[in-house]
Amino acid sequence: MLALTLLVPGTTPANITQRLSDTPLPADKGRLLFVEADRRNSGYRDMQVSLQMVLVSPRGGRTERSLRIQQLETDDDGDKVLVVFDLPASIRGTALLSYAHLQAVDDQWLFLPALKRIKKIASRNKTGSFVGSEFAFEDLSPQEVEKYDYEYVGEGEANGEATYIVDRMPRDPFSGYNRQRVWLDQIHLRVLRIDYFDRFDNNSKQLSFDGYKLYADVFWKPSFMKMINLRTQKSTELYWQDYMFQTGLSEDRDFSVNSLRRVR
Amino acid sequence: MLTACDGCASSLAAWYSNVVRLVGVFLLLLPGITWPDYVIFGSFRSNDNANNWAKRLSQLFGEEITSITVQGDDGVWYRVQSGHVDEARVRLLVRKSDASGIKYWRPQSNQGSSGPGMVTPRLVAPPGLIRPDVQAEESKELASTVSAPAREGKSNDVARVKPIAVSGHRARRQWDVDVGLQSRLFAKQGIAGQGKSESSLSLEPSYYRTWQQDRQSLTFTPFIRIDSRDSDRSHFDVRELFWTRIGEDWDLHVGARRVFWGVTEFHHLIDVINQTDLVENIDGEDKLGQPMVQVSFVRDWGIVDVYALPGFRKRSFPGEQGRLRTPLVVEDRAIFESGAEDLRTDFAVRWSSQLGPFEVGLHHFSGTSRDPMFLPSMIHGTVVGLQAYYPVIDQSGIDALAISGDLTVKFEGMSRGGYGERYHAFNAGIEKTLVGVLGTPIDLGVVIEYMHDERGDDAINTLFEHDVAFGGRFTFNDFADTRALVGVVADTQNSDLIYSIEASRQLSPTWSVSLEGRVFQGGRSLPSGLYFAQMFAPEYKSAWLQQDDYFQIEFKKFF
Repeated sequence: MLALTLLVPGTTPANITQRLSDTPLPADKGRLLFVEADRRNSGYRDMQVSLQMVLVSPRGGRTERSLRIQQLETDDDGDKVLVVFDLPASIRGTALLSYAHLQAVDDQWLFLPALKRIKKIASRNKTGSFVGSEFAFEDLSPQEVEKYDYEYVGEGEANGEATYIVDRMPRDPFSGYNRQRVWLDQIHLRVLRIDYFDRFDNNSKQLSFDGYKLYADVFWKPSFMKMINLRTQKSTELYWQDYMFQTGLSEDRDFSVNSLRRVR
Repeated sequence: MLTACDGCASSLAAWYSNVVRLVGVFLLLLPGITWPDYVIFGSFRSNDNANNWAKRLSQLFGEEITSITVQGDDGVWYRVQSGHVDEARVRLLVRKSDASGIKYWRPQSNQGSSGPGMVTPRLVAPPGLIRPDVQAEESKELASTVSAPAREGKSNDVARVKPIAVSGHRARRQWDVDVGLQSRLFAKQGIAGQGKSESSLSLEPSYYRTWQQDRQSLTFTPFIRIDSRDSDRSHFDVRELFWTRIGEDWDLHVGARRVFWGVTEFHHLIDVINQTDLVENIDGEDKLGQPMVQVSFVRDWGIVDVYALPGFRKRSFPGEQGRLRTPLVVEDRAIFESGAEDLRTDFAVRWSSQLGPFEVGLHHFSGTSRDPMFLPSMIHGTVVGLQAYYPVIDQSGIDALAISGDLTVKFEGMSRGGYGERYHAFNAGIEKTLVGVLGTPIDLGVVIEYMHDERGDDAINTLFEHDVAFGGRFTFNDFADTRALVGVVADTQNSDLIYSIEASRQLSPTWSVSLEGRVFQGGRSLPSGLYFAQMFAPEYKSAWLQQDDYFQIEFKKFF
């Protein structure tokens, strides 16, 4: 990934605060922070995690979705992601395979277990709801650094932690957002909060992150996320469990279209 | 050039449990090293490199960082570490290293406390300077816990860590059970006076287990339906019973299973591996398990599937009391072109790949057709029933799909020999996806397809010889996961019309309900005083469906 090639072999990245003050332009500052955050979140090669998704109605009604995720980093393109559904039970075994691309439109295949059918689907469906949740497909797809332009806003606070605040503007003309305002903590550059602004620049959704834990001694991952739709007052809670890194997943064996056919 | 030791931290972490024991033992053997309040920043073969690194870190941290000599079991190492400082200063060093992306690690400390946001008192390395690790022997990696080998020269910036999780592949073993309660209501009485309603109960358990890091698995899915009206719709089938072996770039499946070929929505023209379970549904999407040996190869130039298909499954047909049937009942015994009858071994091969914007598949099938023709069954010169006749065919075909933005273009075509003269048929269509229709969360897929069979009306084994289909797939994106599929198929050369609706939603996390309705219009009804010849005359092809408009509701419980 581009973010990684920016590092010169053998050198030590200077203190991030130092580099921020050395960087004059807000666009460069914002980008610098995300390049660094991406660098710190890269290198796991492959990852597995289970996700409990709870859809909450304005009146407090709760409906559960349950899914398993496998993710693979690639050397020169976006990540490959395989999602398998366990709940609702009627779509048990349904799987979604995505190849994120840095330049081109992502590839997506759906596996329908009742027919044992693999169906390639149009992935420009970025703004659509992910299985009825308040998350759009683009909110959950890998957040590659190259997919946004950046603007450093300043310092602030989120979850009681000192943060940097950066606006990022999606480069994809089919994105549902004009911009996203992101809060990153100053020590680990973990995302603590994202405000989503729709095409008319109204703050439509708000996402908060909590329960960060250090995995594999290297990666900070949230245990809990909550997306609130400010218009409908509906919300979606994400509970992440059983993170595993470098589990030996293989590109051909576990992320080929062929592997979709034997997903369970 | 400084080269901090690669993979020290990662190998440590990977062998975490061993390390806890072994490091302690090893440290006891090394005079002058005490446990544990210090931070290590790398080990080097070169004393100069170690000294340079220590000097730079001292400047950066404002804390004395030194290089010490360590005797490892593979030689002398120069280790860069902090002095023995108190816990607060260790934390400060860790924090500063984190902020600067500098790799470090700490010996295991039992009394180590960790505040919020503080690294755990384990051996810790932030990402960044960790480099791809060459697979070293495990003993080396253990030794490196104290004196880590430096890797000279080659440094790659892609951060890598060694496996941390014990294993991502835990052997799985699970039972899922689906139970269905189905009720069908027909608008009129059947062609032979059958009643207007039928209820049934279905049970589909599924057992799945894996072993050898998920490289091998066993799947068993029996299916049973008990129908109130039709004894032939009450049936049992082994949908799946197969063993799978997964290689690095190949799969092997042995046993009964289900394989789908095709890209279009309304009619599955090239889907030839499995026999249709017609009593389940006339849409041809329910299939009987087919015994097979299937090998798949994943190559850069595509995926190749080779199938050996020993044994043939006869299509299921409704019985005397069943609905949605031909005026004459299809008898159980069938006639085969092949001398081996239903024991013939058929073969098939399919190649599929991505060619530019196209996803393309080519296939060939050689064997007994899943698609029967019908012969009269006579007693004393009178036709009393039908007999399915299964010819041997060879079929070659193509499927292709291309996506541009929210538009998908699809094509299936095939050439089939064995039913008299060789013939060609194709399906072609487009699907457009509309997201968030009219400001709602609803997604709509609009499908238009054309189905063509060059035999025209003479193609008696299909209703789709020159037909246009139009459909909409609604995904409501609501809490109940409501979906609906509405469609109409119209014959372009006569007045035949088929309307169809399918919808489903969750009632609870483990209960769902689905609705299905079909209406058949415009087809000619059969004249009374039936003749076999008339029954299969092209103009009466859809006659058998004309009084079978139905509505179905099914509740499903998932265990």
